[in-house]
Amino acid sequence: MSSPVIFNTAFPLLKDTETVADAIQRMLDDRVSDLPVVDASGKFIGMFRLDRLYATLLPKAALIGYGVGDLAFVSDTLGQLREKMREIEHLAVRDFVVKARGVVHPDTPPLEIVLLLHHGINAIPVVERDGGRLVGMVSARDLLNALHAEGNG
Amino acid sequence: MMHGDPTHATSVVFGWSPLWVATSLFVATYLVIMSDRLNRAIVALLGAGLLILVGVLNQHEAMAAVDFNTLGLLLGMMLIVNITRRSGLFQYVAIWSAKKVDARPWGILLMMSIVTAVFSAFLDNVTTVLLTVPVTLLITDELKVKPYPYLFAQIFASNIGGTATLIGDPPNIMIGSAASLTFNDFAVGLTPIIVVIMVATMVPLYFVWGRHLHATDENRRHVMGFNERETITDPRLLKQSLTVIALVIVGFMLQRQIKIEPATIAIFGAALLLLLDNLGKDGETQSRNVHGALSEAEWITLMFFLGLFVLVYGIQKAGLIDMMADALLKATGGDFNITALAILWASAVLSAFIDNIPFVATMIPLIKAMGPTFGGDAALLPLWWALSLGACLGGNGTLIGASANLVVAGLAERAGTSFRFMEYLKVAFPLMLISIVLSHVYLYYRYL
Repeated sequence: MSSPVIFNTAFPLLKDTETVADAIQRMLDDRVSDLPVVDASGKFIGMFRLDRLYATLLPKAALIGYGVGDLAFVSDTLGQLREKMREIEHLAVRDFVVKARGVVHPDTPPLEIVLLLHHGINAIPVVERDGGRLVGMVSARDLLNALHAEGNG
Repeated sequence: MMHGDPTHATSVVFGWSPLWVATSLFVATYLVIMSDRLNRAIVALLGAGLLILVGVLNQHEAMAAVDFNTLGLLLGMMLIVNITRRSGLFQYVAIWSAKKVDARPWGILLMMSIVTAVFSAFLDNVTTVLLTVPVTLLITDELKVKPYPYLFAQIFASNIGGTATLIGDPPNIMIGSAASLTFNDFAVGLTPIIVVIMVATMVPLYFVWGRHLHATDENRRHVMGFNERETITDPRLLKQSLTVIALVIVGFMLQRQIKIEPATIAIFGAALLLLLDNLGKDGETQSRNVHGALSEAEWITLMFFLGLFVLVYGIQKAGLIDMMADALLKATGGDFNITALAILWASAVLSAFIDNIPFVATMIPLIKAMGPTFGGDAALLPLWWALSLGACLGGNGTLIGASANLVVAGLAERAGTSFRFMEYLKVAFPLMLISIVLSHVYLYYRYL
């Protein structure tokens, strides 16, 4: 059991019934861009990611596989983008949940966590093997803290 | 030409009849391609390989059967387009044209159709729609109008525009190469009727959808706010690309005088553009650039063609093509005019449902086999135009009639607009028939 020294058990999370406005507030308060989402029973159901939220501001033509490569020629103003954001703020977080790119368990060896972080996944949910309850999060900073700390973990 | 005599084929395994083996393999390949269960490049290459394995052809004959002029022309144009695309030229033209009509919805539909038709005349249809449809979706999104009529019009424009020139559509490239028809021959023979068909297609579209399209002034202002200059991401590459494209087109136009075939012109143009794009860059950047440009070529299409040429030569050598030509001549009573018009109509209806590339690949040797009956190769010109018009325009008839149709439908689906087979067919099939009626009249009065 080496991961417990790495992962953080006091972390911000979202319930799937909360709104996008709640999510934005939490992201700003806790200075994070990816939040884990749980259902009423505390089971992990996926991530609420800022990049997914930003996708709703983009025209569909920029999101289809072979779409418009750059949008420098579109002169939408910040005000117009704010309006688009206002339109979705009341929606439930549930509608925006995406599959986590990497999930670890409490007993996952640290090297696997290093690999996921190396791949740029900066908020890794720690989920119980049985039942899928969310018990922690690992970030690159958490690993750095663990590496920096002295001890025999 | 081995006139209907299967004994010319080399010995086939187990002493089977070469005619039956080749025909069965050919029909099986066609059916699997039509079923759309397996990638068509796999099917064509497997079929070609089996023809050699069972002994209908040997490798030497198979290699000789491949029309490298067609493959080279396709590859060269793919490379030139892939490099040019990075400059932002195509988005620039699309946005510029939308603003020229003050972002009026029907005006934009017309302009995007014209831009698509013109691009398609010089580029592959699939490439054209991949370049222009995202811009259309962006504009309709800003205008808050339904994208369906725009995308429908663009499908038609790409298939119609592609018919206009030697390099616009793969069937034309194959026909031009097989019948030694030049860029100019196509421009003289097909471009006039294509312009008429394009106009005749837009009129019904106005009554079906155009007159109902409305956008608010506010939304039109959004589109007018687009700054097309920002789309030019690489001005140096733009100049280089335009220069090379101009040179290549001049090369095609002077093909007869300079006695150089289209594949050489296109591949040379591609090499020249690669050179200009990589001059003065370090080795690693060059490798990355060239690798990117080469790997973006549509190898599936190229390998499909390769296998197809071998397959068609297999049935030709086994005598099937001659038998089919004889049967067609018998059916038309050997009357040249009836034969030409039969080719036009049959090609159109069949191409609405099956891939026009294998169809044209099969029809080419069939038409050539009729040369002696109709007084030599030179007399066949109207038949080539009938095949081209039928096969290219027929593709508009259904959603599965041409690859560009499916690509547009796929892009639209991903952006949330559904394209249904029957819904498309209801407007498209009659509209396609109008284009074939016009082609019929044109061929009859000009060539028959």
